[in-house]
Amino acid sequence: MSIFLKYILSIIIFFPLLSALILVFVNKKAEGLLRNLATVLSLAEFAISLFLFIYFKSNTYEFQFIERFSWIREFGASYFLGIDGVSLFMILLTTLMTFVSLLSSYKYIKDHVKEFVILMLVLETFMLGTFASLDVLLFYLFWEFMLIPMYFIIGMWGSGRRIYSAVKFVLYTLAGSLIMLFGLITIFILHYNQTGNFTFNLLKLYNTNIPLTLQIVLFIAIFLGFAVKVPVFPFHTWLPDAHTEAPTAGSVILAGVLLKFGVYGFFRFAIPLMPEAALILTPIILVLAVISIIYGALVSIVQKDLKRLVAFSSVSHMGFIMLGLFAMTAVSVDGSVLQMINHGISTGALFLFVGMLYERRHTRLIADFGGLAKKAPIFAALFMIAVLSSVGLPGLNGFVGEFLILVGSFKQYTIFTIFATSGIIFAAVYLLWMFQRVMFQDITNQKNEDFKDMTLREIMTVLPLIFLMFFIGLYPDVFLSRINPTVVHFVNIIEHNKYAYNLIKAKMGLFNA
Amino acid sequence: MLDLAQIYNGYYLEKSLLSVMPEAVLIVFAFLILLAGLFNNPSKNSVNSYYLALIGVAFSFLYLFMLSDHTIKGFYGSIVFDKFDVFLFTAILLSGFLTILMSKNYFDTRSVLIPEYYSLVLFSVSAMMLLVSSINLIMIFLSIEFMSICAYILTGYLKGESRSTEAAMKYFVLGTFASAFLLFGSVFIYAATGHLSLYKIHNFIFEQNYNAHYAYNLHTFLAIGLILLLVGLAFKMSLFPFHAWTPDSYDGAPTPVTNLMATGIKIAAFGVFIRVFTSIYSFNVFNFYNILWILAILTMTFGNFAALLQTDLKRLIAYSSIAQAGYILIGVIAGGYYGISGTLFYLLAYVFMTAGAFAIIIMFENLNLASVNIKSYSGLGYKYPLAGAAFSFFLLSLAGIPVTAGFMGKFFVFSAAIKSGYYWLVVIALLNSAFAAYYYIKIIVKMYMSDNNNNGGQLNLSNGRNSIIINAVNTNKDSQSYADNGSGKTALTEAVSLKSAAPALIIAIIICLIFTLILGIFPQPVISFASRSVTSLWSI
Repeated sequence: MSIFLKYILSIIIFFPLLSALILVFVNKKAEGLLRNLATVLSLAEFAISLFLFIYFKSNTYEFQFIERFSWIREFGASYFLGIDGVSLFMILLTTLMTFVSLLSSYKYIKDHVKEFVILMLVLETFMLGTFASLDVLLFYLFWEFMLIPMYFIIGMWGSGRRIYSAVKFVLYTLAGSLIMLFGLITIFILHYNQTGNFTFNLLKLYNTNIPLTLQIVLFIAIFLGFAVKVPVFPFHTWLPDAHTEAPTAGSVILAGVLLKFGVYGFFRFAIPLMPEAALILTPIILVLAVISIIYGALVSIVQKDLKRLVAFSSVSHMGFIMLGLFAMTAVSVDGSVLQMINHGISTGALFLFVGMLYERRHTRLIADFGGLAKKAPIFAALFMIAVLSSVGLPGLNGFVGEFLILVGSFKQYTIFTIFATSGIIFAAVYLLWMFQRVMFQDITNQKNEDFKDMTLREIMTVLPLIFLMFFIGLYPDVFLSRINPTVVHFVNIIEHNKYAYNLIKAKMGLFNA
Repeated sequence: MLDLAQIYNGYYLEKSLLSVMPEAVLIVFAFLILLAGLFNNPSKNSVNSYYLALIGVAFSFLYLFMLSDHTIKGFYGSIVFDKFDVFLFTAILLSGFLTILMSKNYFDTRSVLIPEYYSLVLFSVSAMMLLVSSINLIMIFLSIEFMSICAYILTGYLKGESRSTEAAMKYFVLGTFASAFLLFGSVFIYAATGHLSLYKIHNFIFEQNYNAHYAYNLHTFLAIGLILLLVGLAFKMSLFPFHAWTPDSYDGAPTPVTNLMATGIKIAAFGVFIRVFTSIYSFNVFNFYNILWILAILTMTFGNFAALLQTDLKRLIAYSSIAQAGYILIGVIAGGYYGISGTLFYLLAYVFMTAGAFAIIIMFENLNLASVNIKSYSGLGYKYPLAGAAFSFFLLSLAGIPVTAGFMGKFFVFSAAIKSGYYWLVVIALLNSAFAAYYYIKIIVKMYMSDNNNNGGQLNLSNGRNSIIINAVNTNKDSQSYADNGSGKTALTEAVSLKSAAPALIIAIIICLIFTLILGIFPQPVISFASRSVTSLWSI
């Protein structure tokens, strides 16, 4: 057991890859076996990752489950893993969402099943590696390779303009990542110039002393890489396409996990590495975040396609998360991290429901539906819960996160927060209006007459998510108590740098308003 | 182990011979192949010469390994065997080895004279090695000529095909031109400095740098000489304004020869460029770094833009190799211990990924499954999952996606450049590689994501056309008939294709695949190898 716990992160990261290897040797004709095996293995993976939750010490911000081996001596890069309160939940979210999306794609994925399940499991390995690595080069390795399986998933099993969307997705994120790589390498070289040691150890790179002008340049470079992933307003255009054309499982992973990498990157890399630049650029980023919130919401209202609607709602919700993170108070960052989990669960669930609608009716246009609630009561009830969770109804998870974000950022950035609050109202408008048009009213389309209710497998798919919506909504302390020490430490780093920042501000007369 | 250098120590001629032992072995085997051609009947010839060539490369490796700890100067200081050579010899021999493995299958289906081909390959490989180890301007010129003449003949080796002949002709005319530049440059440098040895020139410039009375016209001579020398070498490295021969000759040459040109010749050219660069150009005389800086940017930008427009796979890879030359040049510009070892690492990585891609192209070409037109690759990823996955992997490596050798190489080179302060160069290079990803991904899109309905027809068309031109081997008919049945029999088709592709080709692909992966995941041993070999550059 002790050895298991010592290498648990490696086990968790590479178990899906091993599962994928096992699946390579299964005959591709045995589609049922492939699906079941992949689902069971991903469930096992989720079970293993629960050990992290159990053995996680919630009273410290220090990294836990640390593993460290020499990797490339010439660069000072090492295989360095460790998690804190934030990455713990990101890892759990990843393992859960992979299981859910594999379970959801029994019907949706009809051909090339073997390739699909293998790619999903490979993708899982790289996502987990990204969350767990504390070595910048290792992080980048996991981060960028992640694109490739996702690209195949969108391009091979997507619908409509899938190739266009897949290529757009890859090129956007690749361009962002490469600019980010420039920033990371520059910090690495700066650290070498200051200490004489090559190292990619993130905890050591935190101590790099970067001159302010360079810090701003590097922050912008790294910002581009993460902002594309989040996505923040002007960099979001890949997202509706990728989300809309991806298969359900791909959308769930995209919304559930991939978007979190951007925020996680800001939390783990951009802000602690360059705190002063982050503080100086905060107003600009907050403006972008608020624009994301309102713009995403407004565009959602007018969408005719269900999936596009949910995709734009993601832009809006991710804006909230960015607002919370860059408000940089303990409460708002707490809320932001919790909202990352919430968004993964709620939006993941919404995509699952849209996927079920599409499987039954082969259309995603809102106008083609109507009156489904009478035909499929279970579906209607569960869908309603997911919608309300996304709207932020008290008692469900979305409320806790958004409330914390708004409370945390209100004192410091009152105007931004007031504007952001309108996003919640808009969310109620577009989600509830959509729900009304799809589920209620009379059946206008004859094809909706024989709309089937959820099968047992489908209920099983969404049940864990529904459970978590209530659990986080009613008792968020299980999550917050583990997140909080990390967040407090993070905020302390910022506060520590605020003194220097204020000096600079006074000197340069920056942002006096 | 037998320590050759110890035994021959003190005997000048023997020591000279020892300094070119790995090359000499190859030349001996090249002649053996020609001799064996006299005695055997033609049908056996191709097999014999193939194995003789492989044995020759193996012996060369063996000598390289035995001598690897020594630094031997030979032929009155015009040739040196040092650690720097050991690394580049390894890369060049690997490139030659992979080329020979690919050649058998390729030439078996075409009616050309076989034994001479293998001996020419060995000759050109030994010329590349000579080029890398020469430290004298005359020797550099001789080796480049030796290497080029072999390459001209090899390019035109498909006698009946006009494209091949045209390629050889273009390559020859432009190549001769470049050689003239090189020679002219050497003459000017000799006139300005009075030396031919790189290190003596280096010392001379070093002294004159502080000498205000250095005659003005000699200064001009030196400038002209350096520029002409750069032009001559840039031609072989296919840097931007001097690249014009590359696409045509890569396209027209037999594919294994294209591989040899893209990997071996490029390595040799960069090897000698590094030698010249670290000695003669090392003081940044006449702001040469700025010239190279601009050359690098132009090369990669042009290469990538041109590659984007190609529909022919071999031309695409040719242009992409121009772009790769731009990335490699960044390492040289970054310079120093870190930059040069990064360049060496990139060169080795480049061998594996390019050779791998060419091996797969040959495989598809040989089985008449696809022409070199990108369109004919549509849907191939489903029909041949293993080959398709391997090809995608090589392309991703060329694009510089992590977990592959290409990423590590780029990372190494770019971080060296940032270390030397070339921020903008790296930003432009990174934007370029994001841009380049598009056309690599375009091929993967073709293989995996085009409509399945159409490609059956397309594939048969290309099949038919190819089998008229080329005598198809029996197994092709099987694979063709399976291909007709669509994706239902993919497993069977895969089995057939793997069986009918020569095992040598598959071995080549597997070697490339393994090394591309290892260099991407655990590059530590190769990086230390490169770093160790770089030290010998400055210690003569």
